[in-house]
Parts: sequence; C-alpha cells; structure tokens
Amino acid sequence: MSVAANPVPNFQSGWMSLPLVARLAARELRAGLGGLYVFIACLALGVMVITAVGALSDALKKGFESQGEMILGGDVTLARVHQRATDEERSWLAGMGRISETATLRTIARTSDGNDQALVELKAVDASYPMAGSIDLTGAGSLTEAIRSGTDAAADPILLQQLGLKPGDKIKIGEAELIVRATVGAEPDAIADRLTYGPRIFVSLETLEKTQLVKPGTLIRWRYAVKLAGNAGESPESLTAARDAIKARFPDAGFSVADRRKPSPEVSRTLERLRQFLTLLGLTSLLVGGVGVANAVNTFIDKRRKSIATMRSVGATSGFVFKVFLTQVMAIAAIGVVIGIAGGALVPELLTAFFGHLLPVKAETTVSLATIATSALYGFSVALLFALWPLGLAEAMSTSVLFRDNIAEQSVQPRRAIWIAVACVALALVGVAVITAESQRIALLFSVGVIIMFAVFSGLGRAVTHFAGQIKRPRRPELALAIGNLAAPDGLTRSVVLSLGTGLTLLTAVALADASLVQELKGRIPENSPDYFVLDIPKSDFDAVNALVAKEAPGTHVISAPMLRGRLIKLKDVPVEEIKAPPEAQWVLNGDRGLTYADEIPEGSTVVAGTWWDKGYAGEPLVSFEAELAEKLGVTIGDMVTVNVLGRNLSARISNLREVKWESLALNFVMVFSPNTLAGSPHAVLATLTLPKGTPLDTEVKVARALGKSFPAVTPIRVRDAINAFDRVFRKVMTAVRVAGGVTLLSGALVLAGALATAQRRRVLEAVILKTLGATRRKIITAHAAEYLLLAVLAAILAVVLGSLAAWVAVSQVMEIPFTFSIGAVLQSLGLAIGLVLLFGGAGTWAVLRARPGAHLKSE
Amino acid sequence: MSEPIIDLQDVRLTLPSRAGPVDILRGVALNVLPGETVAIVGPSGSGKTSLLMVLAGLEPATSGRVRVAGRNLTTLSEDELALMRGANIGIVFQSFHLVPTMTALENVALPLEFAGREDASAIAGERLKEVGLQHRARHFPAQLSGGEQQRVAIARALAPQPKIILADEPTGNLDTKTGSNITDLLFALQKSRNATLVLVTHDERLARQCSRTIRMADGIIVSDERAAAA
Repeated sequence: MSVAANPVPNFQSGWMSLPLVARLAARELRAGLGGLYVFIACLALGVMVITAVGALSDALKKGFESQGEMILGGDVTLARVHQRATDEERSWLAGMGRISETATLRTIARTSDGNDQALVELKAVDASYPMAGSIDLTGAGSLTEAIRSGTDAAADPILLQQLGLKPGDKIKIGEAELIVRATVGAEPDAIADRLTYGPRIFVSLETLEKTQLVKPGTLIRWRYAVKLAGNAGESPESLTAARDAIKARFPDAGFSVADRRKPSPEVSRTLERLRQFLTLLGLTSLLVGGVGVANAVNTFIDKRRKSIATMRSVGATSGFVFKVFLTQVMAIAAIGVVIGIAGGALVPELLTAFFGHLLPVKAETTVSLATIATSALYGFSVALLFALWPLGLAEAMSTSVLFRDNIAEQSVQPRRAIWIAVACVALALVGVAVITAESQRIALLFSVGVIIMFAVFSGLGRAVTHFAGQIKRPRRPELALAIGNLAAPDGLTRSVVLSLGTGLTLLTAVALADASLVQELKGRIPENSPDYFVLDIPKSDFDAVNALVAKEAPGTHVISAPMLRGRLIKLKDVPVEEIKAPPEAQWVLNGDRGLTYADEIPEGSTVVAGTWWDKGYAGEPLVSFEAELAEKLGVTIGDMVTVNVLGRNLSARISNLREVKWESLALNFVMVFSPNTLAGSPHAVLATLTLPKGTPLDTEVKVARALGKSFPAVTPIRVRDAINAFDRVFRKVMTAVRVAGGVTLLSGALVLAGALATAQRRRVLEAVILKTLGATRRKIITAHAAEYLLLAVLAAILAVVLGSLAAWVAVSQVMEIPFTFSIGAVLQSLGLAIGLVLLFGGAGTWAVLRARPGAHLKSE
Repeated sequence: MSEPIIDLQDVRLTLPSRAGPVDILRGVALNVLPGETVAIVGPSGSGKTSLLMVLAGLEPATSGRVRVAGRNLTTLSEDELALMRGANIGIVFQSFHLVPTMTALENVALPLEFAGREDASAIAGERLKEVGLQHRARHFPAQLSGGEQQRVAIARALAPQPKIILADEPTGNLDTKTGSNITDLLFALQKSRNATLVLVTHDERLARQCSRTIRMADGIIVSDERAAAA
C-alpha cells in the first residue's frame, strides 16, 4: 500500500459549496432556536421601531397625498397675506374652474359686555366653502345656513366655554356684534390654514367686512381654492399645467401656490425630519439589541463547539464551518427581521385605531417597499455586525481546543477578513444613516456618539472585569463571591454594563435635552421677555394705544416696529425655489416673513458687519440681514434681496449684517429695510409690552381688556399663552421621541435578561455547591445583590456622564440653546438601572435559591 | 521494508496554562508502517491522546517532524490539514462526537460531502450496512445506544476509505460486551481495507489484539513491542 496521501480537492470554497452550506445549516437548525429567542427578540424590537416609524410616516404621507384635495379645499390653492385678490385675478382664476375664497386672521372675541375676551382664529368664508370634505357642525344643517345672515357666526365650543357663552348668545368681534348660531368641530382644511393659537370662529366674508378688522396692513391671509374644471384635478399633468399657468399669469403677485399632491410642504418636511430622527433612535435600539445578538451567538457557538470540532475532524475547513454557522445565524436573523417588520407595520393601524383623532390627517395604512427594505437592511446589517465577531473567534480557534471543554480558552483573534468585514458593515450602517439624512451633520454626530458610547461601555466592562480580578480577596465570603463573579471571564459584567449603559445613556440624553428645551421655553419668560405682543395696531392709533397703556399700567415698556408680511422672492437674483439652503435656514425661504423698516438699529440687535444707514436716508433701497442666516443662505453685504409685499416685488441691497438675540422674544426680524424702501406700503404696527416687574394679573387683564374695548382691531397676544400653545405641540413630539428612546432601554433590558439567563446555569450550580458547603440563602442573596448593584451603579453613573455629554452636544451645539442639567433626569436613570437589574437579577436569584442541590449535583 | 505511513521525529508539544507552560510530549519518535495496527497505552496524563491529536493534525506540534501519509503536517495550514484529514484519516472518539442534529446517515455522509462526493448518501448507506445499522439510518444520535453511536462513528471514520484510522479509547464509554463487539468490527474493517490503525487504550486485552504496543509515560515512549505473530 502506498503512503502517498489521497488527493485532496477542495470542494468547500467558492459558490459550488453553497448548496452544501445551506443543507448543513438546515440540518444544524433542527436543534431548534434554544438560546436564540433573545437574539430574535432584540432584532425584532429594533426592526419594529424602524418599520413603525417608517410605516407611520408612509401612512401620513399617503394620507396627505390622497386627501390633498380635502386638506387644501380644492385642487390648487393660492394664498397671500395682506392683499385680497383683485377682480382681474379672481376672474382669471374663475376661468380655471370653481373657486372658493377664504380669509383667516387672528383677533380678539369679546363678550357683549366687554368684560371677557379671548384670542380667536377668525375664518371668513364664501358660499362655496368647503368645496372638498365637510365640516363638523352642531346646531345647524350646513355652514352656509349657520353663518348666512350677516350677524351670525359658528364657533369652536372651547371658545364658548372660555367666555361662558352658549349657542344663541352674542359675541363681539371688531366692530360687529354677532350671534353664535352653531358650534364647529373639525374642519377639513385646518392644516392649510395653520391653525395654532386660539379657537376657530367662522363668519361669512360679508360679516368680516362689518367687523372693520380689514384695514391696510392687517395681518390677514387670503386663500383661493380652485377646483379645476372636469376631472382635471385627478391628473398630475393638469395640476402642473395649472401651477405653471398661474406662475406665468401672475409672476409677481406674491401668491404661495400649493396643489393637492403636496398640500403642505412644511408639514411634509417636518414629518420627514421627525421620521429621520426617530429612525436614528430606532437604529440605536437595534444596535443595543446587537449586544444581545453577540451574546446569543456566543452561547449558540459555545453549545456547538463539539459539533464544529467534529466537522473539522472529518475534513471540513474552518472557513466552511464559518459559512455554515453564519448561514444559520442569518436565517435566524431573518425570523427576527420578519417579526419586526410585521409588528412595525401594525403600529400605524393600532395608532389610528386608538389615537386617530390626534393625527394631522387620516392616516392610510400602507407600508412602502422602501420602508420594508430599509428596516430589513438595518436588521440584517446589525445582525451581521454583531455575529461576525463571535463566529470569527470560533473559526480562529484550533480544533483541539474546541474539543476540550472551555477549561483551556485559547487567546485568538479573528482573521483579517473578519476585521475588514466588521468595519465595512459598520461603515455601511453609518453611511446609510448619514446619506439618507436631511441633516447629515446631525446624523454624523449621532453616529459618532453611538460609536463612542459603545467603545466606552465595552471598555468599562473590560476594566471592571480586569480590576475585579486584581483586587485583594475580601474576607467576607459573599463579597469575595461577588467580586469573583465580576472578574469571571464568562461572567455578566461586560454584557450587563454594555446593554444597560447604552440604553440608559440614550434615555438620559433624551431626558436632559427635553429638560433643557422646557427650561429654555419656560424659564426665560419672566426674565427678559415681554408680556404681550400686540398685533395690527393701525398706524394712526399707535399714539392712542401708547397713552392707554401708560394710563392703565404706568411704567410699561413699549417697543414697536412697523410690521408687514412678505415673501422672499430672490436672493442675489436667484429665485428662492432654486436655492438649496441648509435645513436650519430653510424656513426663511418658505412662506411669509415679517418685514419691518427702521431708522435706527433695533433693540436687541448688534451690527457685526457693514454700516447702518443714516437717519432720513433716501438713496438706493437698503436692507440689514441677520448675520448667521445670511451666512447659511450664502448672501453678504452688497448682494440684492427681492421680497414681495402686497403683490409688489421690492429689491434692496444688503448694507449690513446684524446679530440678533432671538430667544429674548423681543421684536426681531430677519430683514430690516431702510425706511424709504417700505414706508410707502400701508402697514400696521407691531408692539411688545413689558409690564413693570410684579404687575398683578388683574392689571395685566385690565390692560388687555381696555385695549380690546377701545381698539377692536388690535390683537394683544399673551406671550405666556403663545409659549403654552407651542409647548403643547412640543410635548407631543417629545412623547414620540421618548417612546423611541424608551425602546432602546427595552432592548437593553432584553439583552440584560438574555445575559442573565445564559449565566443562570452556572449560577445555580455555584449556589448548589455553596449550599452544600454551608452557605445560607441570605449569604447567596447578599453576594448576588452586591454584584448586581455594583454593576448597575457603575453603568448608570457612566450613562449619566455620557448622556449629559450627548445632550449637551445636541442642545448647545446643534440646537444652540443653553444646556440645563436636570437632577431629576439623572435620578430617573439611576433608579431605572437599579430597578431593572434588581428585577431581572432578583428573578434569577429566586430561581437559584429554589434549586434543589441533589438534582443538580447528580446531573453534573 | 516499505516506507512508514506515520513518521514522527523528536515531537514535542507544550501547551500554555494559567500556571505556566506544560510539557505534554517531550521528544517522541515513532514510525508506523502501512497496514500496521498499533496500540498506545499508558497511565492518564502520559500524553497518549495528545499524541493521537498530533497525528490527526488536530494539535500542532510545538517542534519536531510530523509526516503522515507522505505529507509534512507541520507545514500545512489549518484548512490544508482539514482537507488532508478528510481524505486520509478517519478518527473514532471515546465519546463518539456525532453531530447531534444529524441522523446516523447524515453523520456518516458528512466527510464525503466535505470531499464533494455526489454519491455521499449512497456510500454512507453502504457503510451503515457494513456496521449493521442500515435500519437506524434515519435515527438521531440521541435515539441510539452507546454501542450503536460508536458503530456510526466507525462507519463515518471509514466512509472516505482513509489510509489511517485513529481511535481514541473507542470502547472507553461502553460495557465489556458491546466494547468487544465494537473492537471486532473495527479490526475486521481495518483488515478488509488494509488500513493502518492507531488506537489509544487503557485496555490491555484490546492492546494485545494489535500487532504492536507502544507504552507511554510522562510524555515519552518508554517501550515499543511487536506481537510475536507479527
């Protein structure tokens, strides 16, 4: 017989091996999913958040698209502030189809005795309103019927409640006294009218005239909904053609035009940003769950060491075995991803069922392919990212070590290809997150933050293990046991610190950012903000208003500015539609801006470049631009700015840049023009009233009431009310952020539970041995409690530090508002950490204590 | 005299441990000719199993020369060793090491599948028949007795017609009667293929069935006896 080796062709590399890989992976999976439930749960949870966020955004987007006609009240709408459409404009529009005219303005409604008043959002409509959708009405058959007579109105029941009125009672608006005939609920086109502050009150256009509120300069928004003739509104081509025709016919009319395909670009953009931010939070919870994936894969591989060794001993290459196990892990990941996607897709259904009335539009449940693909991509990438390492370690281990039990661990590193693969997957995840984000800076900061967080907590885990191994053994056996457990190479330390730490960091960051924002919103008001904004003071009445305020509340500080609304049309002769502005400056280009003119530098502003014009300047029209926004929009001194005011285009040259303290809530404008530019346009005056410190509420109310009585067209808005209105919206958004952030902690809890479950067998045996040696239950509980508490406290402290750092970056660097530290947020993190660890650890310890020594000792 | 199929020169094996490096093999020299049956005996910790692992390429020698089936194992990568093993060496373990998630037939087919054989399943069926377990082909290891599991392991070791069979305490986990049946089977199959058999055992009776007995103590070979008949 020859001693020459049999030929050894390698059938285990390349594509040819794939069927065998799949076959063996399938055979291996017969062992079931034991130990991998946490793996599946971690992935499913993260994928569910990402899918839910995407699906909800899809549903709202679809809702917007399909209900666009209703949201706008027509196929195409044109809106303009100050100036009603001219007869010529109106008759041209009428040629396109049916039109409906509405006007909205903010004003004050008073009881007929004038003793009580409230801020309202007045909407005057014509007989065609609403052309799409219907209005919720109680007390009348139709809106037309309810407000037909020139003295009737329909009001939000909240207004009646505020003023202590009931249907049939009288109410004063401007110079008119009206009877509230009916109450109104939801209106179809509320989003298009940007209802924000007060309750709604409907009147007819004729009634609006009787109120005498519409004067030159009044902040009134005229909107024209057009229902295109025939079914033209159904076709995108007709909509585009209609928009083009409007643009061509009225190039300088200053109309904001929208069509039913994208009825509210602002709302769509806000939703998109919120979707991106919540997706990032979902991705973080997926990454935290990744720790559970890594732990589960470790345990999974550990249980199969002998099988791996056996395969290798009968001729399988380590690379081939790697492929078999990677295939299995990814197949199991697929289960988690599918469950996550299915669960996430159900969230919009559930939300619509329970909270549908709170959503801005009726959500249409649909999940786009892009959402499913994104969720699956993130899910599989994270599974791969965290599975590659433990699989690579098993691959690198020699067969003989795998055959022995883990008494002689081999110190190995995965081969270079695994390192590269892990780095590529991580980079791809960051890449996808950054590229798909509107604000790439925020996404990048977020990614860097997440990487730092993972690095710090895995470092802490290692450090604790190492340090616990170094310190001198305490004399008390339960402490020695706790420290021994902390130092054990296969102990809980690393996974508990990592899972708990990352989840808590995110939660702390969200809580602290929230606290800072609330502080910013509320804390500053008494310090340096005015108490009232007074809108629509006719120029001729300004002195009288001033005198009245001085009489009712002596010492009140009044700052005023001429106020017009206008839209930016061009910057440096480039139409604003063609300017790609960074997201934080986009708002300047959208919709109407408040414009003013001044002889002197306004209070709260400082000129940082260029010079202010001289008093009585009469040369070329000039404008002062806010410095930071100018930089972001790419304009500087000498550039031309074109705005449309009252249907006229006005151009001015930037002569200086100003720094403005926006947060002081003083009168501030992005653009302040030289008086000769705007003084000719009819306008009203906007003023802020700062009452002397310590003014009683009675006096505040008296001033507002006196203003309302003497100047019915004037609208005082209490700053505190405005802030509260904003706060209500802000709360809703923060709830969504908190839920998404909370899921991260839930992922952390899952990982924690998984890690504790894995260690449970060893702990039970350890406890059994200790019991046989005479340890009481109390000693065992003390040992476990000491270990868990130490881990929880360490993780929580670092989480507070990192979370504060993250919140500081987000608040002071991204949002650019002062950071406020909140001890409540910190205590919440500490409490949650200790609570979670004690809950899961306690459950484990309970099982440990109940274990019967006999059974366990025999089975070993 | 023909060329040895196993040729070890001054083989040393040192393994790391927390208490410092441990010398497991301390200069082993051994030649085995094709078709020989060799028993390695010795007390626990003498290095028998480690020697077998070195022969199988499952444990790399720290120093010395390891030539098996004409290949120098010390120069081969882990994957080359795996492929070489699949084609030339069949191993039978004391604790069988069947893959628990695979049936008896699939376990036997495994090395043939790794070698890319299309007829893996058919050959595996024949090998199971040879060990008298054709009726248990679809059973999982947990459904088989210890003796049956070891017969599956032998069928698996012999499936790719290896030149060398290595057996580590093949009867160590079995009762005397079953052990004896397994031994008879192993020797019969070895003889029918004229394969080389190296087995590690504590059982002197089993050792006496081999043509050669090597005694080890403390990591070295202390005696090498050939049976009179050989």
